[in-house]
Amino acid sequence: MVFTTDQQTLDDLKIFSRNSGDSIYGIFNKTFTRGGSALLEEMFRYPFSDSEIINTRLATFQFFAKIKTFPFDTAQIDIAEQYLQNVDERTKISADGDRTANRLSNLVLDDVNYKFIQRGVAALISLLKALCDFMGDLDTEHAPHQKELADVLNILGEEDLGSLLEVSAQERFSYARLSEYDLMLRFKNRLELKKVLLYIYHLDVYVSVAKVAATEGFCYPRALVAGAGILNLEGLYHPKLVHPITNDLHLDESKSVLFLTGANMAGKSTFMKSLGVALFLAHMGFPVPASSMEFSVMDGIFTTINLPDNLSVGNSHFYAEVLRVKKIAKELSLSRRLFVIIDELFRGTNVKDAYEATILITEAFARRKGSIFVISTHIIEAGEVLKESCGNVDFKYLPTVMSGNTPIYTRKLKSGITADRHGMLIINNEGILEILKNGKIT
Amino acid sequence: MSFIADQQTLDDLNILGKYKPNSLFSFFNEVKTTGGEKLLEEMFHAPLMDEDEINRRSKTFAHFQHCKIAFPFDAAEVMAMENYLDEEAGGNLVSLTFQIFRKQLLATLMKDEQLQTLVDGIMATIGILKAAKRLFASLSLAEEIPFYKGQMDEIKLVFENADLKNYLDEDPARISNSGIHLLKFDRLFRLKLRAAVLNILAFIYELDVYTTVAAIAERRSLSYAKALPKESNVFIAEELRHPAIEHAVGNPVSFRQDSNVIFLTGANMAGKSTFMKSYGIAIYLAHMGFPVGASSLLFSIKDGIYSSINVPDNLRLGYSHFYAEVLRVKNVAQDVSEGKQLVVIFDELFKGTNVKDAYDATYEVTAAFSSYRRCFFVISTHIIEVGNVLQQSHPHIQFTYLPTVMLGKVPKYTYKLTQGITEDRQGMTIIENEDIIKILNIF
Repeated sequence: MVFTTDQQTLDDLKIFSRNSGDSIYGIFNKTFTRGGSALLEEMFRYPFSDSEIINTRLATFQFFAKIKTFPFDTAQIDIAEQYLQNVDERTKISADGDRTANRLSNLVLDDVNYKFIQRGVAALISLLKALCDFMGDLDTEHAPHQKELADVLNILGEEDLGSLLEVSAQERFSYARLSEYDLMLRFKNRLELKKVLLYIYHLDVYVSVAKVAATEGFCYPRALVAGAGILNLEGLYHPKLVHPITNDLHLDESKSVLFLTGANMAGKSTFMKSLGVALFLAHMGFPVPASSMEFSVMDGIFTTINLPDNLSVGNSHFYAEVLRVKKIAKELSLSRRLFVIIDELFRGTNVKDAYEATILITEAFARRKGSIFVISTHIIEAGEVLKESCGNVDFKYLPTVMSGNTPIYTRKLKSGITADRHGMLIINNEGILEILKNGKIT
Repeated sequence: MSFIADQQTLDDLNILGKYKPNSLFSFFNEVKTTGGEKLLEEMFHAPLMDEDEINRRSKTFAHFQHCKIAFPFDAAEVMAMENYLDEEAGGNLVSLTFQIFRKQLLATLMKDEQLQTLVDGIMATIGILKAAKRLFASLSLAEEIPFYKGQMDEIKLVFENADLKNYLDEDPARISNSGIHLLKFDRLFRLKLRAAVLNILAFIYELDVYTTVAAIAERRSLSYAKALPKESNVFIAEELRHPAIEHAVGNPVSFRQDSNVIFLTGANMAGKSTFMKSYGIAIYLAHMGFPVGASSLLFSIKDGIYSSINVPDNLRLGYSHFYAEVLRVKNVAQDVSEGKQLVVIFDELFKGTNVKDAYDATYEVTAAFSSYRRCFFVISTHIIEVGNVLQQSHPHIQFTYLPTVMLGKVPKYTYKLTQGITEDRQGMTIIENEDIIKILNIF
């Protein structure tokens, strides 16, 4: 089954972004080849919902972690890619084209087509050789991606291509030889060679992502079979922060709802974003910004962190929120297990409504097993009610500490519901009411 | 002392900004000349603080609107004249002669265009002056707009100048062909009559602004506010609306010494922010003497305006949003307590904190501010409970709300200000309508 998510979630978590330096994709986009970059994007578009596939990919990354350099020449990959793309029969050089007239014209004017084929063939041969050398050094028996590997080894073992490995790539082929190779590479074995190129792109992603993980200090999570709703995270942080403070979180069936409170700047949104990013990456089978992670695989992830007002449609912010929750509810009712993050639930309405709605929705969420919900709110009163009515809600808050007149945010999760009343304290510190009391009232 | 309006207020109300498509400035910026635009900009940057001055300006607009006068000059010609007069003239006849000689030489030798520019500038000036002369002869602007009497007489005197009288009738072809003629005109415009010609240009700019603004007022059915002295301390508007929104719903708004606070509630889309912006814009425009979005408006001069609408959550800001808000409230509190007479607009005060704090803070701050009767406040909030408490002890607070009406399952907004505190509980209705809980209980 596919892992479901939507544009709102991708935007909230900044998985992709117009300015790629900003995005999570941008962090990992350190591939050597263009094909690798495209493949990486595809991986970002399609996370998995199967623990076995996830763990295999994770193991593959770790397997390639020891390889420090990409063993192929990227310029040659580009040439080979272009060469294989050209399937126009007319560009084929015919075996009987080796006439004196042709040769003469080649002497006077370079034949572009001939050059193109010459370069393409040479590039492909040297790539195949490099790949063979690379595979020879690899401990293929213990490689986790056996199926992929077997496919490529089969192709390399074929008679046609095998014979090419004996040829020296530097050699200037005779007209007849070139036309023979051209036919073999570009027409007879085109699909096989495309597979080989794709495998090279995979290698690119494996090597470059493992490298990113090593330099950024990301950890490789462990995927558990779907169902138990387990999430164990240690040392979680947001990958875009320069000096991040890390947090731990342990959720499971007995604590499937995280009820998060805290002042506005205390870091609720950032914490929720880092949680979302970690879950998203983990479902791709990618390394995550944490020191350790263990999670039950979910069927999808939905976040509502920066919900835009859709003013042009005439919907209020509140209505947009309601529709969003409804969408999530529908997904859940299809007996999907989801990871859901909602920041400041129902902030677009009056307090009474928001209070009642928060309780109602959170209680309904709490009854759903196997999913995980993270909900933040300013309405701490709702938390008190939920404490009584739901057993499986975990209450955490991000504290504010006053240092003189300035609020300091520790960004470390604490158990419970915030009792911070720094709002009034700040107002009193600033002496606003005194100023007004002592002014010239007219 | 100038009218107080800080950057945030100007941003909230979207007042300035030539390149912001929806700013109030660009709404009025249909002027045809660059000088007119500069003048308009000056007016926007400096609202007036004197009721006589305000009333004089607004009456001028009204007269122009009444007479339906269109801008009688060619904008391109005005610009050519402007450029010509701006150019450094050198100050005496010798340098003027030399310059023309140099330009002629360059034009002959190198096909330089400076000479042509000079000729164009002089021709444009002649054209404009002729048009101005015709305008003064035909139109009795002075009679129709009494404030113009002095200025008009001064300008008419310029046309009495003997040289000018003779020159203006000359054949244009002769000017461009002869260096002597060029020099003659150049000397007249840029040395002899420079001040007077610039004066006429300034008058043309004013005319540009007045005709443009009057035309917009006519097209958008705006009306002119009447300014009263500070001491009267009132604001009475009928059908107050946003001037730039077409078919906007108008509302009556009034403030007096004994009812100086509007406590505004209502759902998010009900139009609270638009109402508050409309009020703020009306205050600002009225102090500029400009036409306002209302069917009638009577107002006392205030010292300035503060607004907090759309305060963005700026995470990059080191301070918390809440703290920034507090500092701004403090800022306003200081000004108010010093006896300044301000218009203050607070939209959803303290929304960045927990509900208990927001409740306490909104209550205390509203109560404390409200005793400054010479300031007018509009305060909106989602915490309707604050209103219920204030209602009992503060008779000078007006409680109004913008209602939501449920049309079947769809909320509709009337945008009509209604007395009281909203009882609208559409929130839960909408959730129930969408059957969310039912969906969530499907296992």
